[in-house]
Amino acid sequence: MTKTMVIEPVRAFNGLDVLVARDEGLFAAAGLDLQFARPQTNDLRSTAEGTLANPVTNQGRLLERGEARMFQG
Amino acid sequence: MVVCGALVVPPWSSVYTPQDLSNRLVALDFGNGTAYAGLQMLEGAVPHETMSMRSFDTSPAKRYAALMAGEFEATVLQEPWITVAEKAGCRLVSTTFFYGTWVADATLDADTYAAFVRASTTAVQRINADKRRYLPYFTREYQGYPEVEALTPDDFNLGRIQVKTPEPIPEAEARWDWEWMSSWGLLSGAFEATTQINATVQQAAHVLQ
Repeated sequence: MTKTMVIEPVRAFNGLDVLVARDEGLFAAAGLDLQFARPQTNDLRSTAEGTLANPVTNQGRLLERGEARMFQG
Repeated sequence: MVVCGALVVPPWSSVYTPQDLSNRLVALDFGNGTAYAGLQMLEGAVPHETMSMRSFDTSPAKRYAALMAGEFEATVLQEPWITVAEKAGCRLVSTTFFYGTWVADATLDADTYAAFVRASTTAVQRINADKRRYLPYFTREYQGYPEVEALTPDDFNLGRIQVKTPEPIPEAEARWDWEWMSSWGLLSGAFEATTQINATVQQAAHVLQ
């Protein structure tokens, strides 16, 4: 039985293996329907808004809202 | 996934070593792993009191453009922007690697994570067998950026592209990372392995995969 999992999007520099696994059908072969959550425009804040002591990050935001089950930290 | 981060200076810079970055303004994307890689490279090279840093944009394209425009003296980049910078004559004064770690919610079960690990493991094997084949993944994300579109496979240093089969999080490394983040005031409280790592799911998934 295929399971579905939604994760936060990745890019090649931090998730090349995931992108390749998706494109080459490896998740499907493993019985996983892997999907990428789609952030809303207002989800994407610039790290320029933060500081060392009070950083701004987009990582984990969709997981916190229950729209993704994993993110790469 | 293993991420490469590099502290980069423009071609005309008088900075040749990370030690030269003492009292020089370095732009970091605080909140992202690359920023903390940059911070560790700086911390290992210059006294804390001479570290001069500012926050800058999440986008490495914007950090690169601002670096070349002289808005600061160095920044941290990841691929493909490290390669773009090198091709433009920039110098990498320090390079490091760090792990990206998957963070999951509490509902993730071992079977699902095992399937994820199984697929990722096969992908890692395929990438390591032929890294050049997968270089387009780094460039296609930046369509419309002439510097990236001009890159050819020969421009890339394949040694900076590292992937590794997923493994359980080593508790000692997680503890060290926590304590390092705490030393910069980014986390508070003591590291508790049982709170941070679901060993049951993690171990079961790696046995199942």
